[in-house]
Amino acid sequence: MAERLKAAVIGAGVNGLVAAAALARGGCEVTVIERGAAPGGMMALGLFARGPHPAALEALGLKPGALGPAIPTVALCPSGRHVLVEGAEARFADGSAHPGAERWRVLSRRLDRFAAALAPLLTGAPPPMRLRAEGLPGLLRFALRLRLLGARDMRELLRIGLSNAADLAADALPEGPLAGLLAFDSVLGSRAGPMAPGTVVPLLLRRAPLRRMEGLAARLAAASEGKGARLRLGAGAARILFEDDRAHGVLLDDGERVEADLVLSSLGAAQTLALAGPALFDIEAQRRIGAIRAQGAAARVDLDFAAPPRLPGLDPAHHGARLVLAPSVQAVEPAYDPVKYGRLPALPVMEGRIDGARLSLTVQCVPHDAPRDRIVAATLAALETVAPGLGGEVRHAGALSPADIEAMTGAPGGHWHHGEIALDQFLTLRPANGMARHAMGPPGLFLCGAGAHPGGDVTGLPGLNGARAALEAMR
Amino acid sequence: MSRAPSLSGPLPGPFHPRLEAASTAKDWADWAGVLSPRKLDATGREYFAIRNQAALIDISPMRKYRIEGPEAERVLNRVVTRDVAKIAPGRVGYALWCDEDGMAIDDGTIFRLGPERFRLCCQERMLTWLIDAAEGLDAAVSDETEALAALALQGPTSFSVLEAAGLQVSSLRPFDLAEPEPGLLVSRTGFTGDLGYELWIATEHALALWDRLIEAGRVFGILPAGMEALDMARIEAGFPMTGFDFQSIHAAERPSRGRTPFELGLGRHVDFAKGHFNGRRALLALKEEPPKRRLVTLDIDGSRAASGALLYRRGMFGRWREVGHVTSALWSPTAKRNVAFAEIEGEAEGADLFAEIYLFKEGKWERRMARARPGPRAAFRPDRARATPPARR
Repeated sequence: MAERLKAAVIGAGVNGLVAAAALARGGCEVTVIERGAAPGGMMALGLFARGPHPAALEALGLKPGALGPAIPTVALCPSGRHVLVEGAEARFADGSAHPGAERWRVLSRRLDRFAAALAPLLTGAPPPMRLRAEGLPGLLRFALRLRLLGARDMRELLRIGLSNAADLAADALPEGPLAGLLAFDSVLGSRAGPMAPGTVVPLLLRRAPLRRMEGLAARLAAASEGKGARLRLGAGAARILFEDDRAHGVLLDDGERVEADLVLSSLGAAQTLALAGPALFDIEAQRRIGAIRAQGAAARVDLDFAAPPRLPGLDPAHHGARLVLAPSVQAVEPAYDPVKYGRLPALPVMEGRIDGARLSLTVQCVPHDAPRDRIVAATLAALETVAPGLGGEVRHAGALSPADIEAMTGAPGGHWHHGEIALDQFLTLRPANGMARHAMGPPGLFLCGAGAHPGGDVTGLPGLNGARAALEAMR
Repeated sequence: MSRAPSLSGPLPGPFHPRLEAASTAKDWADWAGVLSPRKLDATGREYFAIRNQAALIDISPMRKYRIEGPEAERVLNRVVTRDVAKIAPGRVGYALWCDEDGMAIDDGTIFRLGPERFRLCCQERMLTWLIDAAEGLDAAVSDETEALAALALQGPTSFSVLEAAGLQVSSLRPFDLAEPEPGLLVSRTGFTGDLGYELWIATEHALALWDRLIEAGRVFGILPAGMEALDMARIEAGFPMTGFDFQSIHAAERPSRGRTPFELGLGRHVDFAKGHFNGRRALLALKEEPPKRRLVTLDIDGSRAASGALLYRRGMFGRWREVGHVTSALWSPTAKRNVAFAEIEGEAEGADLFAEIYLFKEGKWERRMARARPGPRAAFRPDRARATPPARR
């Protein structure tokens, strides 16, 4: 009997864990190398997750239902008339009907259909640059799904697919918190404004129901271990080892060598290149990797109060919901503009939730190395628009800039997706031309992180796709 | 003073005052942004100076890059296909380099000035490429094209000219380099296939060196020469030229113009054992396939140079079938042969080929199908080019 293939996965974030489970299921002996003391990576800093994707859950042996209940979103409005959104349903938080509800429903259902048509592109390899036989079935499946949308929907998808979220919102919704929510979700975690071309794409990737993040990392880690993956926590990868131009294992910080026939890295492409040593890569690959746009613009802010904070118009029953403060499209775009010049906006946009006396937030439109006290001040200024006087009640405030997040997690630029999700960094071009099929440089080395196809958020799909590509290459 | 690219045309190089004075033909061309003579007087006369006396040619427009540092050798090994470790200090080596698909970017010479000091000379601009190659490695890359003037002194009396100029280079073997005087580097290299040297000096001392060589060479028939004479000599010597015999993949708009070292007949300069280099994985795969095309040298009937000719073979029912084209051609006055570089389809190698040569005869074009046979790589390869010490003449 042939010896079992050994695989080393660098990083125990969602993608590393999914990749490990998929590799173990594929018959590999898998070691996951994680620098941190606990699994999860950036999940530790996130508040909500829309995943993992069912295909990734299947690799982990988990059922979608096992992740806990979906939670609603409350789109906050300075007028106090907040909007409660549960999937395609929208109404005022006080229970009364929202005038835009029907239009929200129509748009939501349409985006769901579009997302379903795109699905085959996400769970497999992206379309190849040059059409070859192996890429054909996937492309045909996608073409068929596109055609099955019907002429009207197909035309609409092709119309909005490369367009921007602000135009989509202007066409489909009344300006206000609902439109602001759409704009917010199109740029969350990115360094972009909703008027940037390609911002409809993230909306199509974010159709799954939201759940709270905590506990998820531990569950995914346990499931991955249950599939046979071995987790090495507190073990940093110092170098990826090669022999005869093939990946051969990973050298740990403490000098230990983890032998492996396959090395999958859930780090960014640039970080992976640095671990492997640039001399093993062609200069073109190194140039493309160096040009990947990955500068985070989302900060984490935690505000502690003496008692649960009260937001006018918000029922304490909705404290566990996702609160989004992005009152209109016209509020999101100006919040982004100053980031281009390295400045904090006066009124950033954000999502958050209230746990007891703590308000935890992901604040969007924060320059990479913004000072923490300034991030807190801008956050409070924005919150004061819906809860005047809230700032005075804060007992303790903590903030993590994108630079802090980068230092804590190793995520390139502290970016949620390890690289902007934009038209020039998507599908065949993600993370960069020539690397979209996860293989990178020397044989046996693969990318399986958020920077890889199809991209970030807590989907686990890059991990799953990376593992599949690695297993296929060994066949 | 820097010579920035100018919209107003090519700019004078470091030897321009002397070239201008020597030029009766006033036939100037743009060589990499520098005003360079196609010929100074008459190409034939300059060519025969290369072959029978000594010719002095300004090669300053060549790009010259300095790579220095503890990992300079690794930087170059990352770029070129050969093993740079095999070039000893004090030696010069030929090298070519490829893109990620294994397609040739350019070729040139690597001067190993010391264990950690190299100079790369080539036609194409490579500065950003080399800087990127050095990323993460402990070596500094700089462009010394502007700072360094270069002269080729080529021909059978070139050694005697140097000796008369007081430069002691008798022990230099082909591809050796030496510094007979501080600041003046002499290498026994060249693009003519004959005995010859290249001299490298800081731009401010360029004119003095020129005058010194012309003065010393007077009795040995030294003559300034232009690009056309040099081109004739290099075709005879069997040296393919980037931009003519193959297109740099970096300059080509059409990806199909890319050529592998195997197709160029330069496969022996690809060393798969030395570790990774740019395009290695692609070349490893390509090595197994028979080359789609080949750059070959041809010996063509008649005395009319087959410049630009299409190549044919006899197909079904005696029809002509196009199988390639001539990239450089020359009636070789020294070898008395009609020689050419040509690119032909892989399967046409060894077949009976015919070159379609057009002749303009007093107002009328005539076509001639001339038989083309495989020729030696170098039509002219004299023993004197390799004798050490070189003969005095």
